[in-house]
Amino acid sequence: MIEAVKQAINSFSSPVTIFSASLAMFALFVLFPRQITSPWCTVPILLLVLAFFAVGLTDEHFVKIVTAPDNVPIVAMIFIAGYFTWYAMRKACLNDARLERGEPTFEKTETDEKVLVFPYLIYIEFVVALVYAIGLVLWSILLKAPLEEPANPTVAPNPSKAPWYFLGLQEMLVYFDPWIAGVLFPTLIIIGLCAIPYIDRDPQPAGFYCYKQRRPMVIVFLFGYWILWILLILVGTFLRGPNWNFFGPFEVWDVHKVVPLVNVNLSDFIFIKGLGWGLPKQWFLREAPGILLCLLYFMVPTTVAAKTWLKKLVEKLGPVRYSVLMILLLSMLALPIKMYLRWAFNLKYIVAIPEFFFNI
Amino acid sequence: MPKENPTLYSVPKTTMWFAIVSLILLGSLIWTVYADYAREWKTWQRQFVRLKLEKARAELAQAEQGVDVKKLEELNRRHAEAQKSLAARRAEIRRLQKDLAKRDLELGKVRTRAQDLKQYEDSYKYYFEEYRLHRDPRAAEYEAKLGEVRAEAEKVKRELEGLEAAREIEARQADEYQAGEKELAIQIEELVKAKKTAAAKVKKLNPSLVTELLNAPMLDFIAPTLRIQQVVLEDLRDDYHFIQVQKVDRCTTCHLGIDQKGFEDAPQPFRTHPKPELFLSPSSPHPIEKVGCTVCHSGSGHAVSFTEAAHTPRNEEQMKEWQKKYRWRPMEKWDAKMLPLDHTEASCAKCHRNVVEVPQAERLNRGRRMAETYGCFGCHKIEGFENRWKVGPSLFNVQSKVKADWLTRWLADPKSFRASTRMPQIFHLSNASAPEEKKINDAAIEGIAAYLMKNSDAAELAEPPVPGDAGRGRKLVEETGCLGCHTVDGKGTSRFGPELSGLGSKTSAAWVFTWVKDPKHFSPDTRMPNLRLTDQEASDIAAYLVSLKNEAFEKTPPVRPEPAAVDWLVLENFKKTMRASEAEAELAKMSPEAKLQFVGKSSIAHQGCYACHDIKGFEEAKPIGTELSDHGRKDIHQLDFGLIHIEHTRHGWFFQKLKEPRIFDRGKVKAYYEKLRMPDFNFTDEEAGALVTFLLSLTREEIPLEMQRLLNLKEQAVESGRLLVSKFNCQGCHTLDGKTAEVRGFIEEAGNAPPVIDGEGAKVQQKWLHEFLRQPVTIRPWLTYRMPTFGFSDDHAKELVEYFSYLAGEDVSYRGLELPDVSLEKLGDGKMLFEKFQCVKCHKLDKASAMLGASFLAPDLVLSKARLQPDWVIEWLKDPQVLQEGTMMPTFFPDGSTPLPDVLGGDPQQQIEAIRDYLFRYAPDEDAPAETPPPAPVTPKS
Repeated sequence: MIEAVKQAINSFSSPVTIFSASLAMFALFVLFPRQITSPWCTVPILLLVLAFFAVGLTDEHFVKIVTAPDNVPIVAMIFIAGYFTWYAMRKACLNDARLERGEPTFEKTETDEKVLVFPYLIYIEFVVALVYAIGLVLWSILLKAPLEEPANPTVAPNPSKAPWYFLGLQEMLVYFDPWIAGVLFPTLIIIGLCAIPYIDRDPQPAGFYCYKQRRPMVIVFLFGYWILWILLILVGTFLRGPNWNFFGPFEVWDVHKVVPLVNVNLSDFIFIKGLGWGLPKQWFLREAPGILLCLLYFMVPTTVAAKTWLKKLVEKLGPVRYSVLMILLLSMLALPIKMYLRWAFNLKYIVAIPEFFFNI
Repeated sequence: MPKENPTLYSVPKTTMWFAIVSLILLGSLIWTVYADYAREWKTWQRQFVRLKLEKARAELAQAEQGVDVKKLEELNRRHAEAQKSLAARRAEIRRLQKDLAKRDLELGKVRTRAQDLKQYEDSYKYYFEEYRLHRDPRAAEYEAKLGEVRAEAEKVKRELEGLEAAREIEARQADEYQAGEKELAIQIEELVKAKKTAAAKVKKLNPSLVTELLNAPMLDFIAPTLRIQQVVLEDLRDDYHFIQVQKVDRCTTCHLGIDQKGFEDAPQPFRTHPKPELFLSPSSPHPIEKVGCTVCHSGSGHAVSFTEAAHTPRNEEQMKEWQKKYRWRPMEKWDAKMLPLDHTEASCAKCHRNVVEVPQAERLNRGRRMAETYGCFGCHKIEGFENRWKVGPSLFNVQSKVKADWLTRWLADPKSFRASTRMPQIFHLSNASAPEEKKINDAAIEGIAAYLMKNSDAAELAEPPVPGDAGRGRKLVEETGCLGCHTVDGKGTSRFGPELSGLGSKTSAAWVFTWVKDPKHFSPDTRMPNLRLTDQEASDIAAYLVSLKNEAFEKTPPVRPEPAAVDWLVLENFKKTMRASEAEAELAKMSPEAKLQFVGKSSIAHQGCYACHDIKGFEEAKPIGTELSDHGRKDIHQLDFGLIHIEHTRHGWFFQKLKEPRIFDRGKVKAYYEKLRMPDFNFTDEEAGALVTFLLSLTREEIPLEMQRLLNLKEQAVESGRLLVSKFNCQGCHTLDGKTAEVRGFIEEAGNAPPVIDGEGAKVQQKWLHEFLRQPVTIRPWLTYRMPTFGFSDDHAKELVEYFSYLAGEDVSYRGLELPDVSLEKLGDGKMLFEKFQCVKCHKLDKASAMLGASFLAPDLVLSKARLQPDWVIEWLKDPQVLQEGTMMPTFFPDGSTPLPDVLGGDPQQQIEAIRDYLFRYAPDEDAPAETPPPAPVTPKS
């Protein structure tokens, strides 16, 4: 029975199914947050996750990967990040309901007073810091640092993995060139995070949890956080094995697994399969469709939206802030779009210029 | 200040939490200290202290028993008495001691004064010399001062000497009073010395508060008694991939008794090294301070825990035991894992290079010999072994020797013809067992046979000129020396040459006759020597050998391949370089015979047959095997374990490969030409194990020259001689270099066995030896075994002469012998002794001596002059047993005495010399057998 379940999970698992299922769950969550964060829904979900781990612990291979000292924090991350997301959303939904009923928010009912940070808050924080210190000490005693023998340059570990917090970036390398996945996107992430307070300057719903008033902002944030960051880290940690091949959670990591790689560039699609002309010799002719497509991707939605359903937003933000916002948002969306293009059409690069190592 | 708000904060509650958390933090801190303190090696060291304590207690008990109680009591009684009598004179003694003290005080004062004066003297001397040099007027002043101080010093010195003399007299007086008592005290001390030492040892080992404190956590940085032990090795390095680091072995942290006597039966890890005379002890060739542990055993020398030291279990069972006991796991990334105990000898070769055999490394030597015997070097290049030879017979004339049918049957299954053959099974192995593959194998076999038949010369065979007699032939085979290398029909033990049983099913009498008459006629490089057989002898041997048939083999059907399989093989080959359509067109053009020839040639190239055999068309072909020069360190990730579940270790893989070379193809989808092709030698577990040790010994690990066992020129010459000895199997017939002749295992009468030639270099003259090796002559005509003519080149003979000479500690000289002048009188005495001792009774061949039996026969002394070394004759006569244990030569001068006291003044040395001198001038009398020249090698009639 358990074997059958494991088999089913393994055969269901693939990058596209995992990603699509996660997107679907994410959509459910942002569409029905009140229902999902209610105990009636939360407890069964929690039980389901625990059941998954319980089943997993019967599997030798799963145990080996999940309990590896470098992977333990990532397991913890699932629960910690899940808890905080649940907590915020639950409060937000309850507050929304209260506001609808015309009642004050939770935060208002607690107290309106102001308290001195020192000594009251600092004292509590100090005790909490001590608790964390204990946690770290015990952790370091119980789970020894995975120090290994001196490195042998002729034997690279397989899979070679980045530190867990970079695994999301490493997963992006499957779909993008290093300069995008390793340089451009991280830079955009940092800039984007810095830009948030300048783009979203609405002071009105500050100081309490709420969802309805800030739905677009919360959705964008949670999408970036859960789908583009945590999910990719989880995939990179638990489902990517030797040679960065994809393995189901209960599949043995076989070094010799071979997966066909049959990806083609957009120019091949257009000039060889579509038009049947053969590839133009000059790279700018060959890649013109791809470059055009990229430009259109950033320009068309921005302008069309500005003229139609985001008219109000443009007025509110002004053209510069609006453009920055749109570029950031479209860049963010570019990742899943590229992933789906890869899965659906085996598309390798939209723009591929090996002449000077520029690939998108 | 706002008033307190319990929903936001509560100071007492926070304080309470603060208290709880602080306590837990303290606890975690204590745990940290403990986790850092509790180390595996400390447990072992504590156990070892207990073990030593037990031993010390046993020693103490023994020492206590060893004390003569009665004697001790008696001594004690006398001591007490002496003390009593001493007490009576206490006043006197005390007065003397007081005087002595006073004298000492006086002495001290004067001595100080003398030292002060010396200081002044030195200083004045310096100034005087300096001023005088610079013509300073103060020179005179200092000269005067110096004179004064010198006079004063002289005076004080005399005073001091007087005082010292007086003190000596007084002190002696005082001592005399106590002498008796002191003497007794010393005697008592002597008696209980062993006991006291043992007791002190026990006391030192007994647990005490001080040692506990010294070893306590947080205090153990001061001077702990439990500490990590290490040997820092000056000249050895650990390879950390990027950097070479000085080797530091900490193995002795737990293996505490490894270099100490008395722990031979202790439990591990405390046991003494099993071979202390060879390893670790300071007087051994491998002292621990210089060699350490991991250079031989491998493993991680820095580590101080069982797992991290990279211990390797001997077998699965031990692995399970270790996992349970020590939570052992393999150190995945540590390359130099400890060698399993039975492979440790592999490390010897790191330092003992360029030697044929490493002393005392039985298993390694065996592996090496096997690699040589089975011709591993043919397919696999190995540095340091390039001078090895092809082990199979030359196939340049194979069409004259065997028929194609025999060849195909043989190739299909060599063991069915000759179970003892070293020819491996090449076809029809596990990775070619499907019916289709069988057909392809058959096609390849047929192709090879066809190729060999066509591409070999027809040698001229001489039919035996006289009819042979199998009975006589059998006797000849058993008695002329064939059994030194071959076995036949259950006789003999040597596997050096091929077994001769069943030869009649393989070849013809004419071939055998021609071959034994002159093996070099067929293949100039053969190692088979010429026994100088007469036509009759050769015919008899041929008749006997061809009478031995292997009927079961003859009955096996010859291989008949399907044309389709031949076509398929041709096509597959063509496709390597051609397009499929071209290949098919090419194939269509070929005749069936051309196809077979092509298949034969490509199959020989694919299987690498030419690595062992000389084959026409493959004179320059490169061997097909992987180079093995660094296989002892081969990266495990580069070894293809396929789908076979065995332990992922080098030795595990090697062993599996040797036992079943094609096994790693099991379960894999592979094209015909991708498949593994190492043939199956059918090794036993033991043989495969020895070969694994040999393989593990192949490393390019750099050991500094000063740590290697370097050979001087003479030792190098000895080693090249050893290689020749092993190549031509001298030890098959002769006891030599510490190895007993193989034939002595089945020759019943020792006198019938070929001679022992240990020490031959000191015995015979180099010039004679050189000639003898090139062209042997009969020395011991009663022996049926013959020294064969090997046809050594001048160089080989020279190498062998050097080998024998240096092995016996002699220098090589071809100058020949210069006889010293001897007086006629002494020669006369020599002759007399010669006759008295009846030397010629044994050392001469006639009917009378033949009656004595082979063991009593000895070489004719006529040969001595040209053959023997004069010094050796002297040593030999003194005591033959020393030079050759068990010889029948009598000892005429037992223990340096002579039975004939009236000759030459009864001086045995003189007598021996006289005999020697006579011997070197001894001329054959009329009935001495004339020297028969050896028959010239027969060349068959053309």
